[in-house]
Amino acid sequence: MDGMTHSGLTWPPGASIPYWVYTNPDIYAAEMQRIWYGPHWLYVGLEAEIPNVGDYKTTTLGERPVILTRSDAGTVNVVENRCAHRGVKFCQARFGNAPELLCPYHQWMYDLTGALKAVPFRRGVRRQGGMPADFDMGAHGLNRLRTESVNGVIWATFSPDTPPFREYLGERFWAHYCRVYSGRPLEVIGYNRQHIPGNWKLMQENIKDPYHAGLLHVFFVTFGLFRADQKSAVEMDDHGRHGILISRKGEQVENDVTAGMANFKADFTLHDSRILDVVHEFPGEETVGMITVFPSVVLQQQVNSLTTRQIIPKGPGGFDFVWTHFGYADDTAEMRLRRTRQANLFGPSGYVSMDDGEVIAFSQQGFEHAPDEAAIVEMGGRDVGNTDHMVTETAIRGMYGYWRRVMGL
Amino acid sequence: MTPDRHAIHAFYDTYYATLDDGDLAAWPGLFTEDCLYRVIPRENYEAGRTLSTMQAESRGMLMDRVAGLSGTQVYAPRYYRRFPGPLRITPADGGVRCRHNLLIVQTMIDRQSDIVLVAACHDLLVYDAMQLRLRERIVVFDSEMVPNSLVYPA
Repeated sequence: MDGMTHSGLTWPPGASIPYWVYTNPDIYAAEMQRIWYGPHWLYVGLEAEIPNVGDYKTTTLGERPVILTRSDAGTVNVVENRCAHRGVKFCQARFGNAPELLCPYHQWMYDLTGALKAVPFRRGVRRQGGMPADFDMGAHGLNRLRTESVNGVIWATFSPDTPPFREYLGERFWAHYCRVYSGRPLEVIGYNRQHIPGNWKLMQENIKDPYHAGLLHVFFVTFGLFRADQKSAVEMDDHGRHGILISRKGEQVENDVTAGMANFKADFTLHDSRILDVVHEFPGEETVGMITVFPSVVLQQQVNSLTTRQIIPKGPGGFDFVWTHFGYADDTAEMRLRRTRQANLFGPSGYVSMDDGEVIAFSQQGFEHAPDEAAIVEMGGRDVGNTDHMVTETAIRGMYGYWRRVMGL
Repeated sequence: MTPDRHAIHAFYDTYYATLDDGDLAAWPGLFTEDCLYRVIPRENYEAGRTLSTMQAESRGMLMDRVAGLSGTQVYAPRYYRRFPGPLRITPADGGVRCRHNLLIVQTMIDRQSDIVLVAACHDLLVYDAMQLRLRERIVVFDSEMVPNSLVYPA
């Protein structure tokens, strides 16, 4: 890799993932440059979060703080939250509305697109001081990211080389994306935020790995929401970087599949089953569509629970995980209540998602002191390809194929 | 019947001792059959949103939460200890509203203790079959970033 020595870092043969990919600080630093600040679209937020002119939201892309603004009815902007003067992360609120962006330190003022509009005492005070005569206001705006708003979701990229978003997804994934993000206006119904002490890639892998879902998540399996014997599919884009798990809900039945589960609860029933009061909402028979858009987000549709789950890396050993739960602006009160109830399955206390956060932490604990050991990802074979079942780790293999090409490893 | 301060304090002593002792099976019985329980991020609450990190709309849903924790969910072992602050009690229809702060400290195996939740509780206590019970408990937490999981109830 450019300017880096990787003596001692060797990729093991076969379908394996060495643990140094999750623990090595040089690898993490290279991922920031090549992946997060490289030619990839990163999830920023929803149009519904900044509906009015002057609305803004702060978030973090990779490790860099940014501000999402609406400068006029049809224009959203993403700028780095770092004053051009002295580097101050000047916007500290999570959400707000303002006519312009103002750094409190020396009151440099930017418009909502990030252009520098005012520098106090630029011409000096009583002929004293001031900026040099050749100071170019136009050359000192906030760093502005390329931005696309796509059917209600806002994406940004640091790189000039990233293809347009639709091309970045690929046509197959464009169709999957448009199932939930059809252009029908969205409405945020709330947030969950958690810090998961594991490498950021483990979250991508978790959603690309249907093998675990039918085993770890006893709650899912017990109530037939996600089982290894359901008609399902795993698909990837042509690069292997994005993935989707597609499945359809079944019933609570005991058979050869559940017989293989150490902790299956055949007699488990709910005292109040309203959290499983699901309605068929999207075209087709599928009830689950879990999309991973590399590298920054999971787009969740699990029955009527819709979320974006944003990944914010915090060093090799952890990431913040921000859940934006949403519905549609024209949802009935009943539908909004249904989505809120089903949210009990997800987030830091979720009947199923808690399992994932915990197991990701256990994984990192296992890797940390054995960087030269490796994980086995041979379920479903050693190659990479779309499947029509969920007994496979193919999408994890696909992601590492892409990762190695980008990282030059 | 309006509960007096002594009865209210006795109720909370029981409530927090039940949870701190890990007697989850007894916890739903401290609520009325028809109840509302929410552990909700402050940003959602203040925006008038109801989306919660945990939500139950009946004692049955609380029992399901306990069944999930006892039987289906996977998590590392830990202790939670709850430190409630002074009660602010105001009369309400059919009972009393009690507001108080709550700090929950988590201890995991081989680790130093840390704070898992900083919250304000907005409760409605009523007499139900001669017993004080919670008809409503909304735990609004300030904590911006949950340290991975919020396992046990507040």
